[in-house]
This record gives sequence, C-alpha cells and structure tokens, in this order.
Amino acid sequence: MFDYNFHWRPVMKSLPDLLEAGLLTLQVATLSMIIGIVIGLLLALSRMKKTGPAYWLATAWVELARNTPALFQLFFFGFGIGAFGIHLSPFAIVLAGLSFNCAGYLAENFRGGFQAIPDTQLRAARSLGMTAWQAHTRIIIPQVFRLVYHPITNQMVWAVLMSSLGMLVGFRELSGETQFFASRTFRIFEYFAVTAVIYYAIVKIVLGASRLLAMRLFRY
Amino acid sequence: MIKNVMAAAVLSFAVSVPAVADTLDDVVDRGTLRCGVVLDFPPIGYRDANNEPAGFDVDYCNDLAAALEVEPEILPVTWAERLPVIVTGRADVVFGATSDSLARARTVGFTIPYAIYFAQGVVNSQSGIKSFDDIRGKRVAAAVGTVPEQEWLKIAKEWGEENLYQGYQSENEVFLAVAQGKADIGLTTNTAVKPITEQYDTIEPGPRMPWTTDYTSVVAKRTDVTWLNYLNLFVTHQVRSGRYEELWGKYVGGEAPELRIPGVMY
Amino acid sequence: MTETIDFFSGFGANDLWFLAEAALRTLWISILSIAAGTVLGALCGWLIYEGKIWATLTLTPVLDIFRSVPLIIQLVLFYNFAPIVGLNLDPFASGVVILTIYTAALVANVARGGIEAVGRPMRRAARSLGMSYWQDMRYVVLPIGGRAIFPSWIGVALGVMKDSALVSVLGYVELLKASQILITRTQEPFLILSIAGAFYFALSFPISRYAAKLEERWAQ
Repeated sequence: MFDYNFHWRPVMKSLPDLLEAGLLTLQVATLSMIIGIVIGLLLALSRMKKTGPAYWLATAWVELARNTPALFQLFFFGFGIGAFGIHLSPFAIVLAGLSFNCAGYLAENFRGGFQAIPDTQLRAARSLGMTAWQAHTRIIIPQVFRLVYHPITNQMVWAVLMSSLGMLVGFRELSGETQFFASRTFRIFEYFAVTAVIYYAIVKIVLGASRLLAMRLFRY
Repeated sequence: MIKNVMAAAVLSFAVSVPAVADTLDDVVDRGTLRCGVVLDFPPIGYRDANNEPAGFDVDYCNDLAAALEVEPEILPVTWAERLPVIVTGRADVVFGATSDSLARARTVGFTIPYAIYFAQGVVNSQSGIKSFDDIRGKRVAAAVGTVPEQEWLKIAKEWGEENLYQGYQSENEVFLAVAQGKADIGLTTNTAVKPITEQYDTIEPGPRMPWTTDYTSVVAKRTDVTWLNYLNLFVTHQVRSGRYEELWGKYVGGEAPELRIPGVMY
Repeated sequence: MTETIDFFSGFGANDLWFLAEAALRTLWISILSIAAGTVLGALCGWLIYEGKIWATLTLTPVLDIFRSVPLIIQLVLFYNFAPIVGLNLDPFASGVVILTIYTAALVANVARGGIEAVGRPMRRAARSLGMSYWQDMRYVVLPIGGRAIFPSWIGVALGVMKDSALVSVLGYVELLKASQILITRTQEPFLILSIAGAFYFALSFPISRYAAKLEERWAQ
C-alpha cells in the first residue's frame, strides 16, 4: 500500500537553516578534534611510562572511551554528571563527549606512532646536542605526525558523524535542527533525506581538505 | 537496490490507487490493534514497577482493543513521533495527549476531544518563579515537538529570549533538567504536576501558561473517515459508560473535566 | 477508586535483571548484524577486488554512502521509509537491516585489504601448483589474508556492537534504551548509567583485549 505523498517544499524552505546547522556540526567536530589531539597526546605519553597514577588514569580513560558507546558517553556527560549538579549546555555536552571519545581513540594511534620511531633516533638527536624538547619537537613528533595523519583524518570523519548524536541531548546541530523542523512539519523522511545528503557533502569536503593539506605537508 | 525500491514504489502505487484504506477492517482482520502511546508522561502514560506500560492512555488503548475484540499492541512513541507513526502507517491509532491543532490536522485526522489539559510549568525551588512574568530571563525547557514548545517559542520570540529555551527528547528529561537545575522551569501539563512534584524535592508547581486549554484528540489516518467515525463513537461511549470518569479518577484524581466545548456545536 | 498508584519507584533487583536482559538483546542484534554484515561485506570486498568494472562503479559509491552518513540518520530514514513502500518492519528488523548493511560497508574495505595483503607472487605460486581459483582463495588467501585483517575486523565488530545502541532511537529496548526507561521510572541517572556502562564494558573489553593479545602474538 503506497499512500504516502512526498512533500519537499517545507524542507527546501528551511534549507538555509539546515546548512547553517551543518556549519555548527563542522565547528563542534573540529573543536573536539583539537581538544582530542592535545589530550590524546598526553594520554599516549602517559601510557608509555607503564607505571604511576598518570599511567592508570590514561589507561582507564582510553579503555572507557573505546569500550562504551559514544551515545552512552554523551548521556553520561548530560544527565549522568548532572546528578552532581554539574550542568553543561548541550553544546558543551557534545563537545565534552566527542573530545573524550576522540582522545581515547587518538591516544592509541599516537602510541602506535611513537612506538614505530626507534629509540635510537632520540639518542642520536640528543648526542647531536639537542635538548629533549628540541629532539621531540623537531625529530620525533614530525615523523609521528606523518604516521598518524591518516588515522586523524578518519577520526575527524568519525567526529562529524558522531556529532549527529547531539540531537539526542538537545543540541541543535545538523541532526538536531533537522529533528526540530521534522517535528513541526512531520515530514521526517524528507528532512532526514536532505540531511543525509548534507552529511555526505561535509564528509567529502573534510576528506578533500585533508588530501589537499597532505599534499602541502608531506611534499618530501 | 534503489532502482528496485523505486520500481516497487511505482508498482505498488499503480496497484493501490483504487483500493481505499480501511483501518477498521484491517485491525479486525489482523486481530491486533497497534496503538501508539507516549510513555514518559505520568500519569497518562508511564511504565510501572515491572517496566510494563500503564496509565490513562494505555487503558484507553486496551478498552478500544476490547471493544474491537482484538489484542492491543502498545507501541511506545516519543512526542515527535506521534504523527509520523500514523502518516507512515506504523500505528493504527495514537493516544498521546495530542492537541488537535489546525496545523496538525493538515497531516492527520483527529477525533472529538477525549481528554482536556491545560499547560502548567514545574519550577526548580531555587528559581524564584512565582508568576508567569517571573519567567522573563529564566531558562525554559520543554519536550521537542509539543504544543508547549511551539507556544513558548512564540512568547520567547516576543521577549527576545529564544536563546534561553532548551528542547529535550522527552518530558522526563525536561523534569530531570529542572530537578538538576539545568532549567528553571519546565513546561508540561497540569496532570503531570502532582506526580512530578511528589517525586522530586527540588521541584515545585509553577504558574499556569497563558495559552488556551489543550483539547486533545485520538489520532488516526486523515483519509480514513470510517475509522475516525468509529473512534468518535468510542470516545463518546467511554464517557457514557462512566469509564472516562473512572480512569481519570484512578490516574489523575479528582473530577474528570467536561469534554464539551461551551458555545459550539461539535 | 481510592487505589493509590506509584508513578515512580526505586531501583530494585528485578531492574538489574531487566538491564541484563536488555544487554542480551544488544548482544543478539549485534551478533546477527555482524554475522550477516561480514558475509555480505566479504562478498562485496571480493567483488570490488576482482575489479569487474560494474562492481567498482556501482558498489563502491553505494557502500561509501553508508560510511559517510551518520548511522542514526540511516536508521531514522530507513525506519520511516520502509512503511512507505509497504514493508512493515519493527524496530528490531529495521535495526538489523541497517546495521547489516553498515557492517558490510565497513567489512568490504577490510576484506579487500585482506585479499590485497596476500602477495601476487604467492598466489601465482598457488595457481602454478595446480590449485584452482577457489582452492587458492580457500587455502591461501583466506588463512593469510584473514590473519592480516583479523584485528581490524574485531575493531569493526566491536564498533557495530557499540553502535547498536543507536537502535534505541527506533524504540528497540536494548541496553541503552532499557537504561533510559529505568531512569524515567527511578530518576537515578548516575547509578543506572554506570550499570549500563559496566555492561557495555564487560561485553567489549575482553574481546578487545583478546584481539590485542592475538595481534601481538602474530606480530612476533
């Protein structure tokens, strides 16, 4: 029985709002990646020490982030910690949840990257008279960065896709905005179909930008 | 795959043109009544201690199934899903405290009112909200896709306070947000106020909202007039048999509100 | 009627059972989707590898869509589209269909990588020994390529298990939805989310540890 009429007009009317919400999606994904990279680096370095409270904290973070659903993590940052009177705005909930998740996944990538660089390089750099800081920033990190560039790009795509969970914690990014409009006009299918296309475009733009950047960065 | 689906769509479209949807016959033939109910709206719809659906709307659904001599099948829906489940044919009928707005009536069909509510806020005891005007500058929460949300956004726009509004997936999340202090006032209906304020120490009854009384109707497919007729008859029978009075007393307490609208032929 | 009714009740022992049952449902929907998705994905991966032009032109972009649109959007779209074309699928069936295709899209890439990981010379050697194409696939490519991609496959499987939490938006009462129901009733978000998180962790952590151990052993 096919008695459903498609109505695209309301969707087209709110297209500008949806595109604007798409920018918000990109924004929260990018921010969470920046935070995730910084924290992920710290976690990776702490985990390589193998002892001490920093090691245990980092291990707990990484394992929790990787072994529970992202949506669960968002709920936790929403109502879970709300029970203790800590109130985050929907934007902050999504940002915290995504950063927590990204940091956990990136930490493992970074750890793999660091382990791929032989210790001898660090010693060689130090014996050339570099300080530990210089040796790390000039010799080790650039090489690690090259190794983890691809995983970082993948994680960025994940962050864009994961940010769609924001709609379940009341964040009006692309999915949340779509749901809001769909709930007013009841054209759920039409709205989400258009949103799917927008997500696809965002992901392709992210991948394209990453490829261009890689061509600039890794010319040698 | 897309091609197949399109072909199937075109084919079934061609086939189904002469056939008239008749939910009443479908339900009786199928032997089950698929009934959409919102379950985070105590005492109208909620889950009991065994996590089974219960409440005023759930009993209405059971009564309707009994009248049709079929098995009820409760389909839990969120506020925003109430109309789509009818439009896509996932449910036969929705008992979901659905206000019979003219905008919604463009999409789905409504029966005569089966229950009446008015909008009221629940406030956090720290918020200091006593009257409607105190809400100015305070953080407001409501469930996405509800009448309170739409009505409030109109007022918020006038006040220039749209940024202080926050929508949630369910009424329950609204209450939780008010209890935890994420919002100062949550918009809900009068029936929910009593159970909610008894549940949370930090929540108090808030002011009544200025928009009109909520006449809520049973929802069914707009084009299926015979089915809507049957549902209308069901609503009147519930009142005539005293079942309406009984269930209202059981779940909400007090006198059941008069369903007739003064000064108009219905 | 003077019967008093409790609209809310505290967390009880039977609720722990309710969560455990829901965890089983999470496990069940995951196993079903991962199994079907792996078979379908391996098939797609093989088709793409064999490079028949039509497969590459049609299959690759279609699978790419499922990797570039958020799973939650796919679920909402399919769930609302199916009844339009007369398929009356319940949330469970809709969830299985989408999770299967989603798994297949991820596995296809992995599987293709696995076939590629087996060097050309080795395969030529197998064929020269008189093995048929299928014998070569069964006795050479499967064991060697399979081993190479096993860790990534585990990663995909665990990812799908966690992503099955999203089927909760369709109303399927799996672990996360069950915890939401309990939060509604008991109003104890922190306690219940912690228990749900522990269940997820218990499902995911042992498998991911086991895979990591295996990978280490094979790497030696």
